[in-house]
Amino acid sequence: MLIPCPYCGPRDVSEFTYQGDANRTRPDPLSTDREVWDGYVYDRLNTAGDHREYWQHSGGCRSHLLVVRSTLTHAIVSAGFARDAATKPKKTRRKAGARP
Amino acid sequence: MAEQVSPLGPAWMPGRHGRADGEAGVVLTETRPGSIVQAAAFPGSEKAIIAAIKKAAGLSLPDGAGGGIATDTKAAFGIAPGRFLVVDQSEGLADRLRAAIKPAEGAVTDLSHGRTAIRVSGPHAEWVLAKLFAIDLDPTAFPLGAGRATQHHDIQAHLHRTAPACFDLYVFRSLARSFWTMLCHAAEEVGYDVR
Amino acid sequence: MSGSRAATGGRIDRTSSIAFSFDGKTFHGYAGDTLASALLANGVSTLGRSFKYHRPRGLLAAGIDEPNALVTVLRGDVREPNVPATQIEIFDGLTVESQNRFPSLDLDVGAMNQIAGKLLSAGFYYKTFMGPVAGPLKGTRFWMFCERFIRRAAGLGRAGKTADTARYEKMNAFCDVLVVGGGPAGLMAAKAAAAGGGRVILADLDPEFGGALKWSSETIDGEPSRTFVDHTVSALEDAANVRLLPRTTVWGYYDGNTLAALERVGDHKRDAPKGEPRHRHWVIRAGRVVLATGAFERPIVFPGNDRPGIMLADAAARYAVEYGALPGRKIVVFANNDGAYVSAVALRQAGADIVAIIDVRRSVSDHARKLATRAGGELLLGHAVVDTPGGSRFAGAKVQPFDAAAGTLFGTARTIPGDCLAVSGGWSPAIHLASQAGAQARWDDRLQTFLPPDPGQSWSGAGAFLGRFSTAEAIADGIEAGGGSSDLPAVDDEAPDLAPAPVFEIRPAGGKGSKAFVDFQHDVTAEDVRLAHREGFVSVEHLKRYTTLGMATDQGRTSNVPGLAIMAGARGMAIPDVGTTRFRPPFSPVSIGALAAERFGDLKPHRLTPMHDWHVEEGATMVAAGLWHRPMIYGHPGETIEQAYVREAEAVRGSVGIVDVSTLGKIMVQGPDAAAFLDRVYTGMFSTLPVGKARYGLMLREDGFAFDDGTTWRLSETDFLMTTTTANAGKVMQHLEYLLDIAWPDLKVVLTSVTDQWAGAAIAGPDARKVLEACVTGTGVDDAALPFMGIVHGEIDGVPVMICRLSFSGELAYEVYCGAGHGQQVWDALLEAGKPFAMVPYGLEALGTLRIEKGHVTGSEIDGRTTARDLHLGWMLSRKKPFVGSAMMDREGLVADDRLQLVGLVALDNRPLKGGAHLVDHADRALRDSIGHVTSVCFSPAVGKYIALALVKGGKARHGTRAFISDPIRRRYGAVEIVSHHFFDPDGSRMHG
Repeated sequence: MLIPCPYCGPRDVSEFTYQGDANRTRPDPLSTDREVWDGYVYDRLNTAGDHREYWQHSGGCRSHLLVVRSTLTHAIVSAGFARDAATKPKKTRRKAGARP
Repeated sequence: MAEQVSPLGPAWMPGRHGRADGEAGVVLTETRPGSIVQAAAFPGSEKAIIAAIKKAAGLSLPDGAGGGIATDTKAAFGIAPGRFLVVDQSEGLADRLRAAIKPAEGAVTDLSHGRTAIRVSGPHAEWVLAKLFAIDLDPTAFPLGAGRATQHHDIQAHLHRTAPACFDLYVFRSLARSFWTMLCHAAEEVGYDVR
Repeated sequence: MSGSRAATGGRIDRTSSIAFSFDGKTFHGYAGDTLASALLANGVSTLGRSFKYHRPRGLLAAGIDEPNALVTVLRGDVREPNVPATQIEIFDGLTVESQNRFPSLDLDVGAMNQIAGKLLSAGFYYKTFMGPVAGPLKGTRFWMFCERFIRRAAGLGRAGKTADTARYEKMNAFCDVLVVGGGPAGLMAAKAAAAGGGRVILADLDPEFGGALKWSSETIDGEPSRTFVDHTVSALEDAANVRLLPRTTVWGYYDGNTLAALERVGDHKRDAPKGEPRHRHWVIRAGRVVLATGAFERPIVFPGNDRPGIMLADAAARYAVEYGALPGRKIVVFANNDGAYVSAVALRQAGADIVAIIDVRRSVSDHARKLATRAGGELLLGHAVVDTPGGSRFAGAKVQPFDAAAGTLFGTARTIPGDCLAVSGGWSPAIHLASQAGAQARWDDRLQTFLPPDPGQSWSGAGAFLGRFSTAEAIADGIEAGGGSSDLPAVDDEAPDLAPAPVFEIRPAGGKGSKAFVDFQHDVTAEDVRLAHREGFVSVEHLKRYTTLGMATDQGRTSNVPGLAIMAGARGMAIPDVGTTRFRPPFSPVSIGALAAERFGDLKPHRLTPMHDWHVEEGATMVAAGLWHRPMIYGHPGETIEQAYVREAEAVRGSVGIVDVSTLGKIMVQGPDAAAFLDRVYTGMFSTLPVGKARYGLMLREDGFAFDDGTTWRLSETDFLMTTTTANAGKVMQHLEYLLDIAWPDLKVVLTSVTDQWAGAAIAGPDARKVLEACVTGTGVDDAALPFMGIVHGEIDGVPVMICRLSFSGELAYEVYCGAGHGQQVWDALLEAGKPFAMVPYGLEALGTLRIEKGHVTGSEIDGRTTARDLHLGWMLSRKKPFVGSAMMDREGLVADDRLQLVGLVALDNRPLKGGAHLVDHADRALRDSIGHVTSVCFSPAVGKYIALALVKGGKARHGTRAFISDPIRRRYGAVEIVSHHFFDPDGSRMHG
């Protein structure tokens, strides 16, 4: 599998570390809502199809990437810096990990 | 100040090795720069850091990911978004960069002891490095002056093409001896000269 | 003897004679021969014994599809088993053994398996070795008892016990176009792609490019096909943008157009030049791929079809034309398609007689009739071979009229004598790589074969791979696939139509006659396939696993389609409805050495500290800790490990010791928001830490469990030096980078690994300060200048150093850091300064002993299942701010009373304790009711006993009580007393002193 790092170009998957499901947002640190935190820490969608996930280019520029990958074919639909996605204002706030 | 002790130790054996006939396929050198420094920009301050590198080291970095430049004694190239490795054969570069970079714009990290610089040059430099790194070393994909961050298994490395057939590699000091040993092994096929 | 050398012809060099050894006997061949062609020319007809029945087997094929002639190549004591003789180029001194025979090929006692044939039918392992339901050989034990005998009797070659000393290498390559297969399609594709200017790689598994053109009698643009190949190859050799890889099998097609190939660099050489690998494992990332992998001829299944001398028709022609090795002088041809007629003509032209051409079809094309006339011999249409009487080699074919439409035999049989039977049952494109890369193959009714699926990745096909079998089609496809539009070289000969009659098996009524083999390599017969069907294994995937059809080294190249056809017949279905298996990598066997390449032995990476060479010279016993090499003990002559670390630890408590701590993970945390960042990732406060001070910090994971600990030093308002445990350095770095990139991208913080920038030495013991006073300049190190957790900058021997006063051992202690390149110099100066105080270097064992005595935790206790409170670190959990893990750490399960908590243990039987042992409440040795386990152990010189840290249910509440070790695997039992984990100096007076 090749992941197209926006800084380094396409690189073999062995240069990357899977850093988890990207369909979740870290709750407000002050939140004490147990359900929200449980969702963030434990709930995953287990998508069959295009899946949003984080990969760190640990063997390259070390950036975290937001990758959309088909779990059925390994085809990479898109890859960008996770930082760019994280700094964009969020329009809707879905409960972390909840089903769409 | 005392000179740094090379991490290569007994693995550094000057002279010709491997295949003995003809010109050596590669020449392997530990270049032992006095300064290896990381200059990192906070988001939005990349231009300021590039200007600071120009001011402190006299090197004009081109735009773009992995862009870099090299002179006989100095080099700089991008290793990650907003991060640059700046190298000088002389000591003291970290202090000059610190003076040129405002704390709100970026950070300077001295890696002069933490990274070991190894030069691989010669007609078979690409062939030998292709055994170790899964990156495209062809000049069309890795042009002169450019830098690349990659790894050989557990060994992270920064590669800088400083001449058409010359690559400067920066690896973690603790792994330098292992990496050097692997490099020598990979170079035996084409014959190599350690200088 | 049936095979012989033709008087002339072949791409061999008859002036260069080569001597090689097969089963201890010396043979001669010519440069350009394979082992198969050389043995054939020498009249050797039996090259191996079959897998189960030990039947004599000869050559079926001439290429990588060979299922029978597997041999073992010997290089000194190193054995390489299961190499097809067709893939071995001979060289002077080549030494080869045949396989699966005892005591020799000609006299093999295992052949009695043939008599016991019924026992060895499909699935015989599963049926036979269920085992008795009771007794000493109950169940699988019976299987284990039988297995060693079966393994000897059935199987392929045996591996050697001598380590392979050959060199293997990996090579990464990138190209715009990778062309797989160097036949006419591949050559033209490479030429066209090269003309387009892109980087091209052309790989072919044979030593020479050309594919079938090497043994074709066609002429292209007026010149013989072999000359056309030579011209094309030399043009490609001259092109700067083309890399030619002969002897290279592309065996895997992975995601992202990444392909794996094995180049056999040195197998054909007697001695490798210095540094040259035997095999090179190519990993090729291609912009696009041209699959020009050709096709495999397949046999027809009929009784007695495995007798040596029975060979695929095209293979027979190849031996004759490419190698000048005639597989027989009186050849019988058996076919269901026109291709075999071309082979017959080629064999005739090479000097053999064609006795007869037997075709299952009642009528054939005019082209075939013309070829039959040229080949000579009797043309028997509407006939089939129904058996091959004879012994260990083919002597004649029993033929009978055959109704191809009904699949039935009728009339009377007669025997046609001959010394070679050339068979063609049609052609199967080599779709393996396309299947690996894409979807299900599709069935073509006209060609009676599976054609490649639609591309799932960026590849295109050409030539026979697409079922377009003629040279003209291959050339046209190749040019198109290569992206060219040049004029097509003209092929001057008429191409045969390879579409076969849909006949896969000749089956005499009542199943009489000899065994009819489908899979030669695994000895799977047509009856085995039908038996599997009767027993309910109807899916192709089940069929494959139950009968082993299509497994092993040849992966069913000759057997898959006939096997499916027979299964389809048994089920009364069409072949495409039965389906086919998807091919998986590797296409053909790959040496493990090539895959391991540079990753074993001396080439495994090690991390060495700046003082590594000193440790080794000092006689330290080094131990691997992850990639790091660290001194375990500095043993004196005659000392045990325990005596050494006890001496070292006593020296620390008694006077002073020095230990290399360079391996601690070190991360620079820099930026205006560095302090705020640390507040969020540590359980404690760091924004309140003054410059020039260090603080002990604990990190949790998001789920509230303990993650890692270490001290962080504030070097300036914006610069912090974080230390982590050696083992977790990488994980902590990634954890922090994740948070910074994803959770808090607004923070202005830069993280950099500086583990290797600093050499670290810890000086510990009552005399530690005196050692520093003797060598540090530029700063005071007294209590006022350097209080507990203080940091000062100074010099040792002219080298700048940073000293922090902190303690892991519980003694007065300092960590001295300097640039790694000066590490040895500072270490030497510290040793010199320590001489008056008898300072000793100490290793990991003593370091561990000192911290266990103090009850300090490391990775053995912070094991991912423990919380801060379990480890009595609850005092570190700030209530003033949120931090990673704070929201989850108070969950009921994490604060329950019966959690495993850290305690100390003292062995009451005065014997060593062992990490991992369970603790129980009962003195008997019954395996039940664990109350916890031992995590860290040592002999404590301070306590004078064997002690341990342990995680025990209820923890503190059990202090003063007795428990028992239960460690049945290592047979360690005995009583321990549960005590506080603070064994020594619980109020910490020594380190503050």
